[in-house]
Amino acid sequence: MAASGVKRRKLEHVSSDEDDDASFASFGESDEIVAEPLGDEDEGLEDVDDEDGSLADEAAGEPEDVENDKQNGEDVAKIATPRFIAAQQGQDRTDGAKARRAALDAGGGAYMTGTFKSNMFKLQVDELLEQIRPRRGKREEAAEEALHALKKTFDQVPARGSLLTDEAEQQLLKSSKVIVPFPQPRPPRDAKYKLEFAGPSSINVIGSYALKTNLRSKEALEIDMVVTMPSSLFQEKDYLNYRYFYKRAYYLACLAASIKDEPTEYDVQFADLHDDQLRPTLVVSPPKPPSNEDMVKQSPRWRINVIPSVSADVFSQDKLSPSRNCVRAAGDTKAGPTSFYNSSLRADALPPSYLKLLHNAASTCDGFRDACLLGSTWLRQRGFAARISAGGFGNFEWSALIALLLQGGGPNGKPILSEGYSIYQLFKATLQVLAMRDLSKTALVVGAGDAKPTGDGTPMLWDASRAHNVLYKVTPWAYSQLRQDARTSLTMLGDQLFDGFDATFIMRTDNPLLRYDYVVDIPASAILAEKGSYHKLFSTLKRGVGDRTSLVTMKTPPSALWRPGSRRSKPAPDASISVGIVVNSDTFNRTVDHGPPAESKAEAASFRKFWGEKAELRRFKDGSITESLVWGTGESGQTVLEQVVRFLLSRHIGQDAEQSASFVGHGFARLLRQGASMAAYSPLMEAYKQLETDIRGLERMPLSVRHIMPADPQLRYCSIRPPFDIAGRQRPTPANITIQFEGSTRWPDDVAAIQRTKIAFLLKLSELLQEASAAITARVGLENPSDESLNQAYLDIAYGSGAAFRMRIHHDREQTLLERQLKDKSLAPSSKEAAARALAAYKRDYIKAPAHTQAVARLCSRYPALSGTVRLLKKWFASHLLAHHIAEEVIELIAVRTFVQPWPWQTPSSVQTGFLRTLHWLARWDWRAEPLIVDLSGTGELKAAEVQAIRTRFEAWRKLDPSLNRIVLFAASSLDPDGTTWTDGRPQRVVAGRMTALAKAACAEVQEKQVALEPAGLFASPLSVFDFVLHLDPALSGGKQRKGASNGTTFKNLELAAQDDESMIGFDAAQLLLDELETLYGSAVLFFSGGSERPVIAGLWSPQTARRGWKMNLAYSTIPQRVRAKEETVRAEINKDAMLAEIARLGRELVERVEVSSR
Amino acid sequence: MVPMPASKPAVPLTVNDFTVLPLRPPPLPSYPQETNHYLYLRANAPKVPTEDTPREVFLVNVPVDTTEVHLRALFAEQLGGVRVESVGFEGTKRVGKGITAPVIAAIKRGRKRKRGVENYEAGAAGQEVGRLPEVWDREVHSSGGTAVVTFVDKASAEMAVKEARRAAKSGRQIVWGAGVEGKLPPLGSARYQAHHALRYPDPATLQQSVDDFMTAFSAREAVRAKELHRVRSVPDADGFVTVTRGARIAPGAREEDAGKKEEEGARKREKRKVGEDFYRFQVREKRKEQQLGLVRGFEEDQRRVEEMRRRRGKMRPE
Repeated sequence: MAASGVKRRKLEHVSSDEDDDASFASFGESDEIVAEPLGDEDEGLEDVDDEDGSLADEAAGEPEDVENDKQNGEDVAKIATPRFIAAQQGQDRTDGAKARRAALDAGGGAYMTGTFKSNMFKLQVDELLEQIRPRRGKREEAAEEALHALKKTFDQVPARGSLLTDEAEQQLLKSSKVIVPFPQPRPPRDAKYKLEFAGPSSINVIGSYALKTNLRSKEALEIDMVVTMPSSLFQEKDYLNYRYFYKRAYYLACLAASIKDEPTEYDVQFADLHDDQLRPTLVVSPPKPPSNEDMVKQSPRWRINVIPSVSADVFSQDKLSPSRNCVRAAGDTKAGPTSFYNSSLRADALPPSYLKLLHNAASTCDGFRDACLLGSTWLRQRGFAARISAGGFGNFEWSALIALLLQGGGPNGKPILSEGYSIYQLFKATLQVLAMRDLSKTALVVGAGDAKPTGDGTPMLWDASRAHNVLYKVTPWAYSQLRQDARTSLTMLGDQLFDGFDATFIMRTDNPLLRYDYVVDIPASAILAEKGSYHKLFSTLKRGVGDRTSLVTMKTPPSALWRPGSRRSKPAPDASISVGIVVNSDTFNRTVDHGPPAESKAEAASFRKFWGEKAELRRFKDGSITESLVWGTGESGQTVLEQVVRFLLSRHIGQDAEQSASFVGHGFARLLRQGASMAAYSPLMEAYKQLETDIRGLERMPLSVRHIMPADPQLRYCSIRPPFDIAGRQRPTPANITIQFEGSTRWPDDVAAIQRTKIAFLLKLSELLQEASAAITARVGLENPSDESLNQAYLDIAYGSGAAFRMRIHHDREQTLLERQLKDKSLAPSSKEAAARALAAYKRDYIKAPAHTQAVARLCSRYPALSGTVRLLKKWFASHLLAHHIAEEVIELIAVRTFVQPWPWQTPSSVQTGFLRTLHWLARWDWRAEPLIVDLSGTGELKAAEVQAIRTRFEAWRKLDPSLNRIVLFAASSLDPDGTTWTDGRPQRVVAGRMTALAKAACAEVQEKQVALEPAGLFASPLSVFDFVLHLDPALSGGKQRKGASNGTTFKNLELAAQDDESMIGFDAAQLLLDELETLYGSAVLFFSGGSERPVIAGLWSPQTARRGWKMNLAYSTIPQRVRAKEETVRAEINKDAMLAEIARLGRELVERVEVSSR
Repeated sequence: MVPMPASKPAVPLTVNDFTVLPLRPPPLPSYPQETNHYLYLRANAPKVPTEDTPREVFLVNVPVDTTEVHLRALFAEQLGGVRVESVGFEGTKRVGKGITAPVIAAIKRGRKRKRGVENYEAGAAGQEVGRLPEVWDREVHSSGGTAVVTFVDKASAEMAVKEARRAAKSGRQIVWGAGVEGKLPPLGSARYQAHHALRYPDPATLQQSVDDFMTAFSAREAVRAKELHRVRSVPDADGFVTVTRGARIAPGAREEDAGKKEEEGARKREKRKVGEDFYRFQVREKRKEQQLGLVRGFEEDQRRVEEMRRRRGKMRPE
């Protein structure tokens, strides 16, 4: 190994020097040489390391190398040598700006000059390219062997005489059991033309494999092999009425027969090239191994697509331009253009020409190959491929686009891209072209000529010199998705605070549940499987949903492979078309649609024709009389959007489609009480405003009021349950607010005394409030009895309407006093600790919480889906018993992140996408190494310098506390650069680990079930993972109401009276029990509570309670045990039974049942 | 699942010099299992004995729901009929070893004290005034906690320990909580409801307590101010005058004043400073700094990518 390593290092170094000449061919070669001795991919990494090491050595050893290396931007390792830096500075002095620029180019600075987003990005891209560049291995060798064998076979096939179609088909079936894969419609029985076969005029390998732009991946290696049919087989008019395609199909069948006749071990199947049924191909793959698991893994996976092609000069390119008609019945002259048919035929004639184009581009432009690799990766992660069912935009289209843009396309025929662009610039500029230009409206023409889009939504990239639309098979629905994705990626790459690398190249973004707000699944059998019917479905839906959505797209079922001996296979019975919809969150629930006014006759007629009996002529408040549509308000359980889509399906597509369509997307919002709308919060918000006026209106107040600030989830639309039930059945939870008075010198100068003074203020305030309004009940309550520097009292204010508030006084002198205590050297460490705690509590409750509340409330009104997402996420945490470990504010930050930094998607517009994307991020969040940084301003007020400061702080915490005993999650925001306000000491590492595990499990479920996902399933987890579970009495713990009266003595009115009693506001027995349990058993047991979502408290015994030597001051109940009889040492075993019995006594009737896990 | 003690090695009668006394709490419907709780007791032996020490017995691992009533009943009815004078529970917080669980650390169940007044020699020494009302009708204790029981006399204390040893040896069942029925407020939701009610004391009582506190506080402040004044004006034995913080300016104004002064100073300093690009060496140094910053940033990034690779393995599209 060592010896080969040395050898390899030499070779590699040579290759990197050659990079200067930009010879891609040589690069490719050296790559092969390196790869050869490697059996397995893991060694690739070592390889890179070796290289770095050798370069650094060399730079240190040979000073004269320095000058040469300046040009070599790749050799980044040298930056570390001090001599190099010295050289840079020397140059600076002499040559000024120019030299500085060169110096920057030479070192790491090259990456900073705009050719890349950032150093980080560049380094990661290099790393990625290292992993995805094609490499020659066993698989490639086996495939090439097969290529040679195939070529030999094809070259030797004897010619077949010309026969009429029927005869030819029969003969082939009889002799070789091969059915000719004629496209639909089949050739007529009475066709006069004859089919024949002659040896191919040439055989070539084309496509990404030949160009070395194929991705190295776990999927099968695909190689395209073009077999050019001799021109003698065709006549001039064969381009008409499918005649060319019939002849082509026969030719292909003959090739298939020839392989079948040969005793080869390869597996042969027919397939439609890119789902285009006009152009079947032959797929040759390695033989299926006997059903042995190991063999399946071992066998190199590859497939060779044999594509018949025709020489470009056989058919006139003018006749095949997209605006011409080539399929017509006799005598019919009015038929419209058959652009897809024409381009399909053209595409068969052009492979060699495009191979040449791409090859030229690769040899003139250094970054071309890598930009193609990046582009393929980008497309792959977004689910695009050359197959029509996957959008029709694949590797080839991407490379051809770059190659063409290098030649022209700009104003005055100037090229849009330049050959000197870096890989990243090529990639980004290509995305820009895709994003900014709507090619379905205005064609992009490269070369001299003119072209118009076909008008059915297919984009047009007209390659004038080859007279071909490169994007002819890109479907309109995929094209709108592609543009959307390109736009998103561009904005993402422009976001300086976000390292978009993962989101651009690593993450897969094609899961429909994460990508779309609504998914409609329609079985393919309900729709006629013709090309036109998909287009009709798409255009109908698009027109119908209009501005309710920002994107409508579809995914059609792919065609399958079939054996030469059987007929073309029908699509699988369970195949379905899924329509993805991204809604416009402002308009998607609109119940009245305004159509054109009655006066404009033509438009109104078309509107009526489209909507049928649903269209009504209405007169509106503003006096206008317009055609309009009125939808139900969703009480029927169907959202407005679902009603619209179902109506459109039944009117335009068929009853079948409407009946069998399934609609996914509203299930998550339905899990929330009173739905995801923020309307449920308006009574509380109004009550809050009322309170503010009431307080400001008070006379005889000792001090005037400076601020009243909300500091509660209920006042930022984020509580799991809406604040109070309309029916008044639920006891309100008081919403926290803070009040600050104008400064006065009469406050005492001592923390404890300040707390008492606050009580006096609150007493006065409560008296005044009750006097002022009869609707108000105000009571002063006590808290934190054990710590004098913490706040001691609050004022509960309840309105008759059901709203309740809990007010605390904010006095800014406390901070100064506490800080002074912290600085005081004479104070004991324990009181310093107490002061630090009090200071943290002060900052959290009076500074951070009100600011956080205001910011989140503002974001909730900006992003309508945010409130629902936060509430659902909190429900998720509570359902998994994590609620009291992870502060509500942290959960909110996590959810907000999905909205202000939505990459690689756009800002979520529904609860479903918001929630699932948040879970997706949560599953990937490596909180050990990454801080959570959220810009709560939502308008980009967070600057790079601040982010850097937050990161530095994070790293300092990790250095200080590497075992994560105190700070596990680090959650900072633009308002809270400390990052530890909400997470100090809580959650513990094991809890955070569980959070990640649960999120991962949820994401796996989403990935597996896709649209069949049952939303409620994500909210259930077994209790068996805990050591014991306390089942609480749901009625007493303030959760759900007990179902029905248990005995006759309970009367409904008494029950209601008990709930109405204002003295019980804020009472939560389950919470009190939990707090007490944590105080009493905190060091021995980790408790998990379901909060209001699940009436259970679960516990895990801490590993610190393992058996140990007996001592007096253990913080849990013990059983003394003698290890062996007659031995002195006594061990202490935790007395779990007694502790559980104690808990049962403590909770009494609150705890219905204690369940001990039998693990 | 905890194995039953019966299947385990036998429970010793003594541990170090503690007697092990098994208690049997009556099972509840929610947890019907028979359980034993082990109470450890011995004669109290603090480092600094007081005159009461001979009458005291030290208990370890008292059940969380222990009250004085419980212990009185236990000794009076089941352990030789000795009479308890008073019980002192461990008041300090407990922190488990190794974990600094802030939840526990944050909550102190100490008695309310006017620490300030007590510590200050000139104040009303030892007298607690202005205490806020209690919010619990019954205290509970941390698991594994300790208590000191004071008996009426030394003989009773000795008797209690002896009786406990005999009971343990004979295997007599000691029922926990026998004889306390009706004498204590109940646990469970009733206790939490009572707590909820107690948290909202009568406004008049509350006002009274605040007034008491503030009176004591201002008295203390006055005494302190006087004392400080005295220290400031009278030289001590060596002829030195102690420098103390004067109380001439009201606290709010003082703070503002300091802020203003600082601001002014900063402005002055700013004015006097020479522009950053004034000298050539400054420009050069700045440029050097920038370059070094770039290099450092680059190295940092390299390190981060390296780190990332180490953590996640190879960079591969999913």
